[in-house]
Amino acid sequence: MPETGETRRDSRRIRAALYRAGRELLRIGVLIMVVTSALFFLLRLTGDPSAMLAGPDASEEQLAAIRAEYGLDRPLIVQYTSYLSHLATGDFGVSLASGQPALTVVLDALPATLALALPALLVAFLFAIGLGAWLGSGVGRARQLASGLIFVLQGTPGFVAGLLLIQLFAIELAWLPSMGAYGAASYALPVATLTLFLLPKQTRLIASSVREAYREDYVRTAVAIGASEREVLFRHVLPNAMVGSVALLGAQAALLLSGATVTETIFGWPGAGTLLLSSAQVLDFPVIQAIAIIVALLVFLANVLADLAVAALDPRVRDAAEAV
Amino acid sequence: MASGSAATANLMLRGGAILVLLMMSLSIAVVFVAGIDPALGDLDNRLAAPGAAGVLGTDQLGRDVLVRTLAGTAWSLGAAFAATLLALLIGTSLALLAAELGGRTALAIELAVNSVITMPGLIIAIIVIAVIGQGWLPIVVTLGLITWPIFTRVILAEALSLKARDYVAASRLVGETRFRIVVFHYLPALRPTLLVMAAFHFADMLIAEGALSFLGLAAPLGEPTWGNMMADARPYVFSAPWMLLAPAAAIVVSVIAANLIGDGLASRFRGQRT
Repeated sequence: MPETGETRRDSRRIRAALYRAGRELLRIGVLIMVVTSALFFLLRLTGDPSAMLAGPDASEEQLAAIRAEYGLDRPLIVQYTSYLSHLATGDFGVSLASGQPALTVVLDALPATLALALPALLVAFLFAIGLGAWLGSGVGRARQLASGLIFVLQGTPGFVAGLLLIQLFAIELAWLPSMGAYGAASYALPVATLTLFLLPKQTRLIASSVREAYREDYVRTAVAIGASEREVLFRHVLPNAMVGSVALLGAQAALLLSGATVTETIFGWPGAGTLLLSSAQVLDFPVIQAIAIIVALLVFLANVLADLAVAALDPRVRDAAEAV
Repeated sequence: MASGSAATANLMLRGGAILVLLMMSLSIAVVFVAGIDPALGDLDNRLAAPGAAGVLGTDQLGRDVLVRTLAGTAWSLGAAFAATLLALLIGTSLALLAAELGGRTALAIELAVNSVITMPGLIIAIIVIAVIGQGWLPIVVTLGLITWPIFTRVILAEALSLKARDYVAASRLVGETRFRIVVFHYLPALRPTLLVMAAFHFADMLIAEGALSFLGLAAPLGEPTWGNMMADARPYVFSAPWMLLAPAAAIVVSVIAANLIGDGLASRFRGQRT
């Protein structure tokens, strides 16, 4: 039965991808160690958080008391080893600004960021497939106009798009709220901003893959043996065009997680990006480092997921992985 | 864009170059030749709509929005250009070192690449600014230090494939030094990739500089940069939307110009290869 052969191939394909994921996991471990250490020393170069904590009028004794309380009076190398040994047990330290555990502070802010990033990725991906398939499968005035618009959109930075959306929909038309996370309507503008940021690259990639796929032998064969236009597009062209796009989706997810700061700031969104900016302004080391580590892990996860998806979609990648 | 023909490629290349040159020369004419001070405000004409007080209106301190936007051209395009150059120099040198020396050097460079990519750029920006202060040079250094790994990744892959070519092996056999091989064999072959990457990187740097200035991290307050102007405009989006539109348009036009140059170069080189 051909089915069992397929299933066995599938499981081998997935095992190869899992093996690569394991190797990556080791790599990310080393990487997080390096980033954590680099950040630790770089952040301490920037200044003394005790002055920030105590306020401008603090006396020398008050400063000393704060330094002693947070262990900032110890030699740097002692602080470093103590930080690392706590980190190994999952203890990220205590936020200097709020007194809460740093990890809790970050994990509390993360859902708000994901609540913007995930819908934006999904919407952008769906629109890009539709638009890209249309743009790549023919020529004409309307398509030229559309690809011109996408080119302009690609030149529009996220924060410019966000501010213009606020100007139009929150101020001129007054349809949607522009600040904060209160109810479903408040998601519209920030999600739209991120979507507009993701869409042009995705669309252009899918359009050019679709255009290329139409020139491939397997597609020309399908056309020659009389497959309908619809069948050629959905069964032969799009599945292949989507492979590159899924890989890009992984990279874009990574970018969104670490780069949502500007969008979150514009919309007063209580997410990890806003937290990073406010923590950086008061030199809240433990929180900054917790964000850096969590973001690195999520970026890693996004790339592994994209990798698995590509392996499942593309037989060529699967075969290459099996050969390794 | 749509067509990959040589004519379109040339058109895009020229269009992009003309746009950049036009913006630069307008900026230089207004700020340096005519000597109009972008910081000069007319307090009687604050938040004036486009018209007599200023062709594109005035801001909250009565400063001319057009003059400030043009002054921002020199600031922002200059910073993006310098940052691109810095990232290209660091990234390419490290890639060539890794490709030629291999071994532990290559491993160390790869680790550095991955570490920098993993660190949130904003954190590095804040650290650099805290250490050397806000301003033009700090933003150039920050952007250069955050973004060089992009060049290393691509150039390393290409340099490794060049290393395996017969003509490189042949010049090694006749006793050419590593330095000569890098300068006379690798660099000329890498030129198309470097030029295309630099054009797209320039566009990314323009966006990054705008975003960092907008967050108040890059340019000193009051300095006429597009990001600063947009940050200034935020409280007045209702009463003075022109404050937002001029710098926004300037960023979009210059990023589009850089993308045109990048796309044009890419399809021109692609045409040469096949």
